[in-house]
Amino acid sequence: MAYKIGYVDPSFNTPEELMMAANLIPYRIFGDPTIDLMDADKFVPPNHCFWARNCLQRGLNGLDKDIKGIIITHACDCSNREYDIWYSHVPYDFYYFLNAPLKRDKISLKFFINDLKELKFQLEEHFGAEITDKKLYEAINLTNEIRKLLKKISEYRNKGLLLGSEFHAIIKNAYKSDKKDVLHNLKEKLKKLEIKEPLPYVDGSKKRILLTGSILDDTEILIYLESLGFEIVTDDLCIGTRYFHNLIEITGDPIKDIANFHLSKPPYSTEHPSSGRFDFIKTLAEKYQVQGVICLVQKFCEPLLYEYPFFRDSFKKIGMPFIFLEKEYKRDSYKQLSTKLEAFKEILRGVKK
Amino acid sequence: MGRHYLAIEQAYRDGTPTAWATSGTSVEMLYTFDVQPILPENAATISAAQKVSKKYIESAEDLGFSYDLCSYFKTNVGAMQNNAPIDLGGIKPPTFMVAADVICDTHVKWFQVQSQRYKVPLYIIDVPHVTSNTTNKQKEYYQSYVEEQMLELMDWISEITKKEYNEEKSREVITNSYELSEYWIKIFELRKTIPCPVSTKDTFGGLFPLFTMPGLKEPIRVFKKMYQETKERVDNGIGALENEQFRLLFEGIPFWYNLKFFGVLEQWGAIIVFEPYTYSFGKFLDPTMTKDYIINNPIKAMSKIMLSFWYIYDLETRVKEFKRVIKEWKIDGVILHNNLSCRPNSCGMYDLKQRLMEEEGIPSLVIEADMNDPRKMNEEQLKNKLESFMEILQKNKKQ
Ligand code: SF4
Ligand code: SF4
Repeated sequence: MAYKIGYVDPSFNTPEELMMAANLIPYRIFGDPTIDLMDADKFVPPNHCFWARNCLQRGLNGLDKDIKGIIITHACDCSNREYDIWYSHVPYDFYYFLNAPLKRDKISLKFFINDLKELKFQLEEHFGAEITDKKLYEAINLTNEIRKLLKKISEYRNKGLLLGSEFHAIIKNAYKSDKKDVLHNLKEKLKKLEIKEPLPYVDGSKKRILLTGSILDDTEILIYLESLGFEIVTDDLCIGTRYFHNLIEITGDPIKDIANFHLSKPPYSTEHPSSGRFDFIKTLAEKYQVQGVICLVQKFCEPLLYEYPFFRDSFKKIGMPFIFLEKEYKRDSYKQLSTKLEAFKEILRGVKK
Repeated sequence: MGRHYLAIEQAYRDGTPTAWATSGTSVEMLYTFDVQPILPENAATISAAQKVSKKYIESAEDLGFSYDLCSYFKTNVGAMQNNAPIDLGGIKPPTFMVAADVICDTHVKWFQVQSQRYKVPLYIIDVPHVTSNTTNKQKEYYQSYVEEQMLELMDWISEITKKEYNEEKSREVITNSYELSEYWIKIFELRKTIPCPVSTKDTFGGLFPLFTMPGLKEPIRVFKKMYQETKERVDNGIGALENEQFRLLFEGIPFWYNLKFFGVLEQWGAIIVFEPYTYSFGKFLDPTMTKDYIINNPIKAMSKIMLSFWYIYDLETRVKEFKRVIKEWKIDGVILHNNLSCRPNSCGMYDLKQRLMEEEGIPSLVIEADMNDPRKMNEEQLKNKLESFMEILQKNKKQ
């Protein structure tokens, strides 16, 4: 049985391919909104991000036995500082803090390559595996294939043949499972979708939206949005478009190619400059002709809270209905959002598809 | 402090370059180019001391900035929005801005917001995070990364200011900064004495030149005088508190709007003799940063400072350093300010408390408040907590 490396990444900058080339399965750690946070509360003050706290609690509860090490990737203050708490209280022999750079220029690229090389070295040392260029390119080819398939499948959301929540579950699974199985399942899924007939919009009451925000890893929240009459046709999330928007370009230097890939992905709020995130959302919103943008933010998510007035004003300028909602990381709290979401739906009633 | 703000006003009058910088960023680099630094955090503390921070914070919240964001940031946004005068913490848009994630990511988000609002160029220095298991090898390439950015920043400033980098000037600036810090650390050394010659009133009040004027000559004279006075007190056995009973460590930023609160400690004969926050601005704390080293490698030294900043030490180093301070400064109890604004500082605080109590047997107390937002401080509750804490210390002493 292949071992796994668990990684906590509030954005998506962790090089899955490095782990795969070391014969390890990259396993992205998500939160679980049904668990109690009693232990994490002993380590993390009450006004810190609920998502990062929840992941820590999962670690404290004990992760799957086949997970043999932890990587935490730089993104925001909460996740960065909680690394040391993981390190002290969740016992693993292998720990790596990946300093994914804030910027996306040449100097940052060089640094990121150095940090990836160090991670490669430490993985090799610890797990006794040799990570060759050949293995890296095998992994890259595999994840690139997966990205291509995901891109194709994602388009079915726009054709009314795949729910946004279904797609979310698919991509979430892609982050957690053996990539060979993922590839197989995606091929099967695509075959099934290809024989479905595109439907004209039968249900005119559904509102086409783009979903954005902090990390949204509970598929239930998407199901909840759909139950209120929203149709999620696109997104700019890491459990979504940011995962497959680009491919890893192959130039002969695999580590550099991986670093380049991550620094050329659509920008996120934890990076600099972050204003490009709005531009990217705008492009998607226009391409998919959405009626509005829903921005769901984890409680106490500072990077997004700082962006709110800019987002609000920028969407207003382009006449795109926009709603920003801070949410708890607990399922039974989702319904507290209903009044605001219903009101938003009303606003969208007058917006053409 | 007046001098610093006079210099700022003068720079605006003369039209010479000004720059906002976040604390922890290399202010020395700005002085190297004769750019007048302005530290919005410092200005925000003035708003708090003048009891107007609440108004400015609420004004920023009216613009849509959350109740939960850092109150320094909101004070700055609100003060600008209200055209606050300089003596109430008002500052103007600068020629350019420099921020770094050395202490917190808030700094980056804050300056992104303000550079967008006021259309001012911004340079961000990305400083890698050092954690409990960062190796020396990693620290080496972290250091090169910061250095390369510093070189880029030099060119960037050079282009804006139309001024060439001058190595001689940078040596002079870093040496001044070093000497300023040296006096600060020497004052801290004197605070090891029983009774402690200076209290928080002097350190929280005297700290600001370290933020705003490291690189200039005048503050060195002021600090030298402060040091000599402190030395005299030590030589004459004079303590800041008449009847010193308990020596405390206070972790975190104080409540700038209510500094007098610390006066309550006097009734128990307790005095704060060490604050990691004020100590950390004596920033040449990495033992490899000798005077020789910094003079010969000014840019390297500026980069190194950013990677070895006490305020954001990783948990293991933080615990280790706290233990050392407890011994050397003969600390009886530790008060940890869980500052609702400052997540990077408060993260790990519970572990710190636990380990100091378990491994050193030092009573430690976490209190919750905010450095600039008086709405988040419950004075009565704090007093009660402190009272119970002091009872524990008293019991400990009797045993
Ligand atoms: S939700 Fe926000 S605060 Fe929490 S880990 Fe993600 S980016 Fe950081
Ligand atoms: S108080 Fe904390 S979060 Fe706010 S600016 Fe200072 S270091 Fe950053």
